Amino acid sequence: MPGHDPLLSGAPPAASITTTTVLRSRCRSRLVALAAAVLASACGGGGGGDSYAPGTDLPASDATAVHFLTQATFGADDASIARLHRLGYSTWLREQMEMGASLHRPELEARAGAGENIQQIHRQEMWWRRAVVAPDQLRQRVAFALSQIFVISDRASALNTDSIGMAEYYDILVRNAFGNYRELIEQITLSPQMGKYLSMLRNRKPDLARNIKPDENYAREIMQLFSIGLVQLDQQGNVVRDGSNQPIPTYTQEEIVGLAHVFTGWTYAGSTSFFSATPNYRPMEPFEDYHDQQAKNVLGGVIFPAGRTAREELTDFLDRLAAHPNVAPFLAKQLIQRLVTSNPTPAYVGRIAAVWNDNGASVRGDLGAVVRAILLDAEAMTGQIAAPTTFGKLREPLLRLSALWRAFHARADDGLYDYTNPEINMAQAALRSETVFNFYRPDHQPQGELATASLVAPEFEILTHSTITTQTNQLYTSVNRHRSAAGTAPDQILIDLQREIAMAADPVALVDHLNVLLLAGTMSVEMHAILVAHLQAETDLKTRAEDAVHLVVTSPEFAIQK
Amino acid sequence: MTMSATTFTRRDALLGGSRLLAAGAGLSMFRDLHAMQLSSTAAASPAAPYKALVCVYLSGGNDSFNLLVPTSAADHGAYMASRGNLGITADQLLPINPINPQGRAFGLHPSVPELRDMFEAGSLAFVVNAGTLMAPISKAAYRANSAAKPAQLFSHSDQTQQWESQSAAADTPHGWAGRASDLLVSLNNGSPLSPAISLAGSTRLLRGQTVAPYALGTGGSVQLSGFSGTRGQRRLATFQQLLQKRNVHMMETEFADLQAQAMELDTLIRGALGTAPPLQTAFPTTSIGRQLKMVAQMIGLRDTLGVARQVFYVRLGGFDTHADQLAFHAQLLSQLAIALKAFADAMAELGTSSAVTTFTASEFGRTLSSNGSGSDHGWGGNQMVIGGAVRGRDLYGTWPSLILDSDDDVGRGRLIPTTAVEQVCATLASWFGVNPSDLPTLFPRLSEFASSDLGFMS
Repeated sequence: MPGHDPLLSGAPPAASITTTTVLRSRCRSRLVALAAAVLASACGGGGGGDSYAPGTDLPASDATAVHFLTQATFGADDASIARLHRLGYSTWLREQMEMGASLHRPELEARAGAGENIQQIHRQEMWWRRAVVAPDQLRQRVAFALSQIFVISDRASALNTDSIGMAEYYDILVRNAFGNYRELIEQITLSPQMGKYLSMLRNRKPDLARNIKPDENYAREIMQLFSIGLVQLDQQGNVVRDGSNQPIPTYTQEEIVGLAHVFTGWTYAGSTSFFSATPNYRPMEPFEDYHDQQAKNVLGGVIFPAGRTAREELTDFLDRLAAHPNVAPFLAKQLIQRLVTSNPTPAYVGRIAAVWNDNGASVRGDLGAVVRAILLDAEAMTGQIAAPTTFGKLREPLLRLSALWRAFHARADDGLYDYTNPEINMAQAALRSETVFNFYRPDHQPQGELATASLVAPEFEILTHSTITTQTNQLYTSVNRHRSAAGTAPDQILIDLQREIAMAADPVALVDHLNVLLLAGTMSVEMHAILVAHLQAETDLKTRAEDAVHLVVTSPEFAIQK
Repeated sequence: MTMSATTFTRRDALLGGSRLLAAGAGLSMFRDLHAMQLSSTAAASPAAPYKALVCVYLSGGNDSFNLLVPTSAADHGAYMASRGNLGITADQLLPINPINPQGRAFGLHPSVPELRDMFEAGSLAFVVNAGTLMAPISKAAYRANSAAKPAQLFSHSDQTQQWESQSAAADTPHGWAGRASDLLVSLNNGSPLSPAISLAGSTRLLRGQTVAPYALGTGGSVQLSGFSGTRGQRRLATFQQLLQKRNVHMMETEFADLQAQAMELDTLIRGALGTAPPLQTAFPTTSIGRQLKMVAQMIGLRDTLGVARQVFYVRLGGFDTHADQLAFHAQLLSQLAIALKAFADAMAELGTSSAVTTFTASEFGRTLSSNGSGSDHGWGGNQMVIGGAVRGRDLYGTWPSLILDSDDDVGRGRLIPTTAVEQVCATLASWFGVNPSDLPTLFPRLSEFASSDLGFMS
């Protein structure tokens, strides 16, 4: 796994912001003078330089490149389009996976060390900064997908004041985005932030005198949500049914109870006693006095023998869990749903599950190989042609906004992305869902024709009569704040529409351009005609550009990633 | 531009009536209908008397055996023995005087004096130890797997769905309140507003076969912004063209329909809210307080909107108290009690106390035994029913043993329900106006249980 990470040890925070700002302004000052390809290699590639020899699997067009980048990044921009054209898909993926990870915690921690009162809003700002301008886009996008499977949330009072710990939890996902699932699930399990969220921290062996039994919370959710799910699946993700056509549960309540005993004895690293410690974000450590050492029934009829340590049992259990046949289809399908399409064909799930089970080098759970396979699969590349009525997904609210911001180089003069409570208008914010069940369930079916057709569309679960309008309104605000508009402030995130204003004399050219940049060339003939007619009736060029972008990003065709 | 037939069928279904489809109305006519209803409230006066159900969902699994607690010495001693460090001492509990106490004595959690007052005044009842069941089941049958159990007991998501859809139909996309709305929507004078209204986003409970819920924010309806001025109005026309054009992709149609419907209903609801006198009752500013306040405001518009049947859904989260339960649960119950009291006061202000019935639901109760500082997922739990039509100051259903390993306990104080959710919800549905002959459709397993009416509604 590419673990060389310049930010891992924590670059000084001020320097990091300055670097970002300087980088962007340097790029911007050259924007006019340099061709897109040059710009890409100078600024957009993000550390790969030209050490990557171009491959042969080049995108056929800008539109094709945008299609891919919509799945693999927080949104296509000129630089990423140019870089993808230069390297081709496989090499672009390799560059992205080998690139240093842009972490979230070190800068926040350093700023806290320098006296700044770091709160969740600062974690959210960092998230946006990484989403919009981090060069390691694929890693950040996959980490965000993982954060919606391995959920913790700052809505929990136990975590609300622990913004730095939560940033470190996010960095577990960032660091392991292309790592191995077995390592990832162990780091998640031992994260004290997860420990607080699902109450494994200070979970203790039975205390018969006081009638206290081990906490079942983490035992249940690690199986229901983080690994195997509730029911047996085949390798294509289909539910296996018994002779009475009923799904077959993957575990029983008795096994939950047994597993609750496995997960006993863990608390904050460096604790002087089980119940007194300074909270921190380092992996939890065991206190054997609080670990249950009796024999226990854990999973699939396996009995753990008596007398083993907390770590021995944890290791043994996680090994067994990661080897369970459900893991590959259960998690592969959800990763496909987060990146590519809500309703992958069983064959697509099966191909990715196969890579999960064996990356070609007899390694199981290689997430980098899984991500590569998801994005290079024929269904990801051409599903919109094979299934034009169903392929794709509703863009997640944050991804609608990030696509706009990346396409039009959004930044504030202070270098920050101070949009720190996005859930108010967008109904979503990183690590801020209401429950461990994420913002939406993978099997959510909107009522009506989608349900009738047995299709799921998870993201619609948070799209209601209220939130659809607050999102549309937020997108309007974000379009309206651009560098050529009046009355902007230094902390306002501004998009840049100069190029679109310059193109606006030719409405057809402007709509064609937006079709490629925002819709990967999928704009319908009807929508194209409606937009051109609208623009032709407008004489002011700035208004034309504003209207065109506003109408595209609030349109149904943009809302659905295809 | 007119809607395509496909789009229109769906939108019509969303709106819960067949009137528009039959009329072949387009979007502009749709708007005219709104205007008519707003301008002629007298003509819209419904023939059927108004009734509303309000579901207060306690998300996460409420520890309701700490809300309603036995207080006689023997019972409370057994309770304390089971609950350990989660138990509430007798001196803290707020005594209540049920009409039929089942030979016991009871008190309420110290954080809910408002609920104690409502109980004692006769407008609040408890349904005790209710939960999901396929049919009555003994502990022996549970252990031996010799009788049907609800699928995925103790799982939040599954047990929530079963409360919403009823056990036999856990994988149906419909909820019993949505299906009840299907049957009764015709009483609403063709109102374009869905009879099923959520203040907490998507919920299966309110999904019918034809009725689709309307989701309202606690701030009221949200107005589309960014389209003011001459240029804005022109852009709005184009925005609407993009919503109304034919879409190839099913999700685009779904999205476009939702946006168009949100705009239509915003016009209706914001207009109506603008004409209504403000509520005098003060509500707390908590999430549950704001949700219930908006429900009360909507109920205040019942004549303006010309509606006779409504179901509302509000949600209070945080009941999954695996840790630090004593402090958190007290806060949650206090929030709940204050908000429910305000809502009851608002119903009195509107003169709708007997027309509106509020009930709690929660996916499961919790283990009686402690895990250190909290409790884990259980099964049966106690629920509340509140309103002027409720036969209050009483307990319905059979109180279970709270002794660990009793015949009611399948482990750690996970109690086998002595009343099925079907029975609770069927009682509510009957009061709401669902015909007895329709109950088996809504509650397919109802005949498995002794009674389809628990008697808590008058």
